[in-house]
Amino acid sequence: MSANIALLLHIAFAHLRVRARQTIVAMLGVSVGVGFFLAVSAMMIGSQTDFIRTLIDSAPHIIVRDEARAPPQQPANERFGDGAVQMHGLRARDEVRGLKDWPAMLEAARAIPGVSAAPALSGGVAVRFAGRTEALGLTGVDPRIANQIVDLDEDLVGGQLADLENVQNGLIVSTQVGRRLGANIGDTVVISSSVGVVQRARIVAFIDSDARAGAEGAAYALLRTAQVLFARPNIVNQIQIRVPNPDLALTVAAQLEAQWGYKWESWQERSRDIMNALVIRNIIMYAVISAILLVASFGVYTVISTNVTEKRRDIAIMRAMGFADHDVTRVFLIEGVVVGALGAASGFVLGTILMQILASIPFRIMGDVFYIPLDRGIHQYAIAGGVSMFSAAIAAWLPARRAAKVDPVDILRGAA
Amino acid sequence: MSARLEARGVKRTLIDADDEVPLVRGVSFSVNAGEFVAILGPSGCGKSSLLYLLGLLDRPTEGEVLLDGAHTSGLSADERTRLRLEKIGFVFQFHFLLPEFTAMENVALPMRRLARLSRVEAEARATLLLDALGLKGEGRKRPSQMSGGQRQRVAIARSLANDPVLILCDEPTGNLDSVNSEMVVRVFQRLAHEEGRAIVCVTHDDNVAAAADRRIRMRDGEIVADER
Repeated sequence: MSANIALLLHIAFAHLRVRARQTIVAMLGVSVGVGFFLAVSAMMIGSQTDFIRTLIDSAPHIIVRDEARAPPQQPANERFGDGAVQMHGLRARDEVRGLKDWPAMLEAARAIPGVSAAPALSGGVAVRFAGRTEALGLTGVDPRIANQIVDLDEDLVGGQLADLENVQNGLIVSTQVGRRLGANIGDTVVISSSVGVVQRARIVAFIDSDARAGAEGAAYALLRTAQVLFARPNIVNQIQIRVPNPDLALTVAAQLEAQWGYKWESWQERSRDIMNALVIRNIIMYAVISAILLVASFGVYTVISTNVTEKRRDIAIMRAMGFADHDVTRVFLIEGVVVGALGAASGFVLGTILMQILASIPFRIMGDVFYIPLDRGIHQYAIAGGVSMFSAAIAAWLPARRAAKVDPVDILRGAA
Repeated sequence: MSARLEARGVKRTLIDADDEVPLVRGVSFSVNAGEFVAILGPSGCGKSSLLYLLGLLDRPTEGEVLLDGAHTSGLSADERTRLRLEKIGFVFQFHFLLPEFTAMENVALPMRRLARLSRVEAEARATLLLDALGLKGEGRKRPSQMSGGQRQRVAIARSLANDPVLILCDEPTGNLDSVNSEMVVRVFQRLAHEEGRAIVCVTHDDNVAAAADRRIRMRDGEIVADER
């Protein structure tokens, strides 16, 4: 049989009220821990989400290339299999480059609700203007659907993707390449492809390479133009896909790869090293934050431990009155949880204020004004509240066990 | 009359390192309902140790304590706590009230622990008990705002909270002047004779001894006389 919780709470609050100052200091320790946890994690997660968003949106969520993950089976292997004789020095069969059945693959991808897909042909070209040459990676796209996959227009200056269709052999290069070549919009440049086709093309827009990471060496033209340049009419060597929820890219890619072969590369796979770095960053953040909350629970330990020591006489009299040892343990445990709960609640307020301040600080980077991206997710509050309450309970439980060991006879004998 | 409390060959030995210190060396007696018993003897004769054994705060090394005819030696710690809560009231030399609570809240605590009454009912009964001990209107004071005599009466009211059959006192008048002592003694007589409670009172006070129905004298952990 245990005492009812209302009675234990009444006693616990009476103890805390008497030692109000120590209680408030311990509570502030928890609230500073929780407040900074919220502010720091909002910043870390906010910037990470922002970073991933840029990473995801600057390229298609999934890219299918005309590459397989394993080398193709050679006819000799198909015919004889893994027999007693190993064959070396076979003359490999030449595969026709390009995605086979690409219209069917396009259909299959588009059949998944919310998924958009576009064909593209890419390859290396040299662009010449006024005696200067730049080697670029040219991607031939269909302007009518390419913008559904990656919003290129957002980072274009001086024109739009759709302008590719308005002139004969339109071309888009990065601002940086434009500067290096000395070419402006409307200038005609000469493109020569790796297979030796040479064509004139007119620059219709620039990609702002400051705004889009990795765009410096990129060039865009019509799919048709690229097929002529690479002498591969009706051939496509890339399908670019956008999925409604970026987190789904990995599963959608795996599903389609199992069905069609080829290498369906999701953004997660493409950015694995960056994702690993983010995981390490998160581990560091949670380690530092846990340390702050751990230090906060030292305060709770101190105040509860002091209470237990100072209340030995009261513990003895409660035991004589008919309170069980676990009743007194619970009184002190409740005191710790109350300190933790008050600390977490005031920490929520502090954290919200800190976030408000952080969100209002403008940063100027090369003339542009930025604000720190913040993640104000409810689950950060849940983690901070849960961890601080749990550590406060542990910190209180350690000294509270001592309360149960107080022998009333020792105390009564000493006092009488 | 039935025996409320019975000690059968109770011994208590303190084992301190290699040294065995006998506190109580085999004590047997019984106390009936409505009987007011004083236990007398010089300091260190084992009176208080015996009281803690009778109050189930300590376990005898040998022998047994029976409460209301029931054996207590085989009980778990929780069961002994429960018995203390329901059947025994303690009054100590120093008032031993919880300083954070008012007089009324202190008296209500054992009732709220027993949880047969709601908090409101417990506090109403606490106020009645304080009134009966001449503390009408003092219930909202904290112990630190009261005189020694008032505090001791609050402690007596608290010992009565759960309507115990047995009240154990350790030098209840030790810190009181003669007027207050007299008053406390009369309260004990009323509790025994009118309400039929058994009262065992460890004391040095001749007035208490004179007022008791029976005087048990102890020396070196043993009963040397039992006078009616």
